[in-house]
Amino acid sequence: MSATLEQVTPAVSAKRSVPPAKDSRKLIRSQVRAGWVLLAPALLHSGIFIVIPVIAAITLSFTDYSFGDSWSWVGFQNYTDLFRDQDFLAALKNTILYAVVVIPLSMAISLAVAMGLNQKIKAIGFFRTAFYLPTVTATVAIATIWLWIYNPGSGLANGFLSLFGFAPGRWLSDPNTALPSLMVVGIWQGLGTKIIIYLAALQGVSRDLLESAALDGASRWQKFVNVTWPALGPVQFFVLVTSIVGTFQVFDLVYVMTKGGPGTETTVLVLDIYQNAFQALRLGAASAETVIMMILIAAFIGLGRLLQKADVND
Amino acid sequence: MTSATLTGPIVGTKPPGLRPGRVLLYVALSIGALLMITPFLWMVLTAFKSDLEIAKFSWLPGELRWHNFVEAMQTAPFLRYFRNSLFIAVGETAFTLAVCTTAGYALAKLPIRGSKALLSYFILLLLVPFQIILVPLFLIVKSIPLFGGNNILGQGGIGWLNSWWGLIIPLGAAPLFTFLARQFYVSIPNELAQAARVDGLGEFGIFWRIMTPLVKPALITICVFQIEAAWNGFLWPLMITTSDSMRPLQLGLAIFAQNPAEIQWPYLMAGTALATLPMIVMFVFAQKRFVEGMANVGIKG
Repeated sequence: MSATLEQVTPAVSAKRSVPPAKDSRKLIRSQVRAGWVLLAPALLHSGIFIVIPVIAAITLSFTDYSFGDSWSWVGFQNYTDLFRDQDFLAALKNTILYAVVVIPLSMAISLAVAMGLNQKIKAIGFFRTAFYLPTVTATVAIATIWLWIYNPGSGLANGFLSLFGFAPGRWLSDPNTALPSLMVVGIWQGLGTKIIIYLAALQGVSRDLLESAALDGASRWQKFVNVTWPALGPVQFFVLVTSIVGTFQVFDLVYVMTKGGPGTETTVLVLDIYQNAFQALRLGAASAETVIMMILIAAFIGLGRLLQKADVND
Repeated sequence: MTSATLTGPIVGTKPPGLRPGRVLLYVALSIGALLMITPFLWMVLTAFKSDLEIAKFSWLPGELRWHNFVEAMQTAPFLRYFRNSLFIAVGETAFTLAVCTTAGYALAKLPIRGSKALLSYFILLLLVPFQIILVPLFLIVKSIPLFGGNNILGQGGIGWLNSWWGLIIPLGAAPLFTFLARQFYVSIPNELAQAARVDGLGEFGIFWRIMTPLVKPALITICVFQIEAAWNGFLWPLMITTSDSMRPLQLGLAIFAQNPAEIQWPYLMAGTALATLPMIVMFVFAQKRFVEGMANVGIKG
């Protein structure tokens, strides 16, 4: 609607104020010229630093390029090699595990907190800042703080547990608890953004519907299931997509806290990509990994879309 | 969506009293908030402790050792890291503002053929995860012609590696900000531009002097987002810097935390506190605008 209005407005008003049609055509031409001049830097920048790299990543994944001058086309060799590479398989498993645990939990907790904050409560600014604090803090800083919290000797985690008489854990150095310990930090850190988005979306839920549901005697839970949840649909999808892209990108946290260890217990895809590309100098393999990651992200988003559609149809 | 409606009264018609449900809500939210804040408190408390105090678990430092901060600054060149981060943040933000407001304005207000398709293009790019393009981006930045000893074909030297250009330009002007800017310009009525045209102002004058001053909230949102992203950037600087003199704060911190056996925790926590503080201060001041911007990005796609 607004788009069509915008398109006709210049012509109409030009006709009214400046009668000759030649002038209005000239005006439009000058607008179009200005438009392209203003757009040029962004198009150039995105072309060089995003589009070409995406195409190049796909192309490199079929080569054995390794920073030198000579390289050759190897077809799907990198891909088949990867699926025999134990480090890659571990990274794949850990990344999917991380995503499958962190995404639903963080979405559920964020929605619950947002519903809590969406009441008439005091000190809303304080609560909002508290929940958002980890999000504005650099992941490296977050990682160093939690590294210290998880310190087996004198960290907060064990100090806290000892209050209740529990035995101290080894957290990041214990293969059984390393990945879950990272998940806790990931969830903790990512709540803020999601809470704010949910909070904004909850404002858009029709108050009339909620009130009429209340008049019909709907319980809190029924109101949530029948009114709030469906209304959140598009936003759920937005949060889901950004969460998927975000969790697949987890790197700083792992790099600072565990370097992928113990063993390969916490190796994730981006860490493996980084190691393949810049330590082993196997750019072809690293690129193949990124392509696999891209496909995985697309698959996860597609799956989310399907789940959402099924949810709406219910 | 304004912040006023965000904070205002919302669901529930009964006046809030001290019903059990309310009490439960406050308790739950307070516990949640405590869980969010405790790690930061723990960081600050540790920053004041002595080596003896951190060897065994303890809640509070016996005395506030302010000189931990001074000594941390002497152990690692945090001041220089700090200055580098600041430089990168300011550079990226200025670059982003220049590129994204112009493009956003053109997409929103100028009669370009295919502007809808161009908008879809930017939205699509917004979904490309940075890690996907990491390797080629590195190669491109390495082969920028006529920089860092490169010839005109971009070969022979290191291009933008280890340079401010490389740290600033590739990560500036993210499509997200073009999209965000466009959303804000669209909401400004066209009549203003028409009036200015009748008064003889050129297209660039209209953009710069009439429209842009009206989207200040968008500019602030973009600034906050971009400063945060630049300040917190890690992977890219890790890849393209080799000299310590170019490194930003996050990298300095990570290097400081490299060997868990030898970390001097009070110093590291002091450095982390110093690295964290600017973003927290910025968020507290820009909170309302920031939340507003988030609401717009999230919902009004």
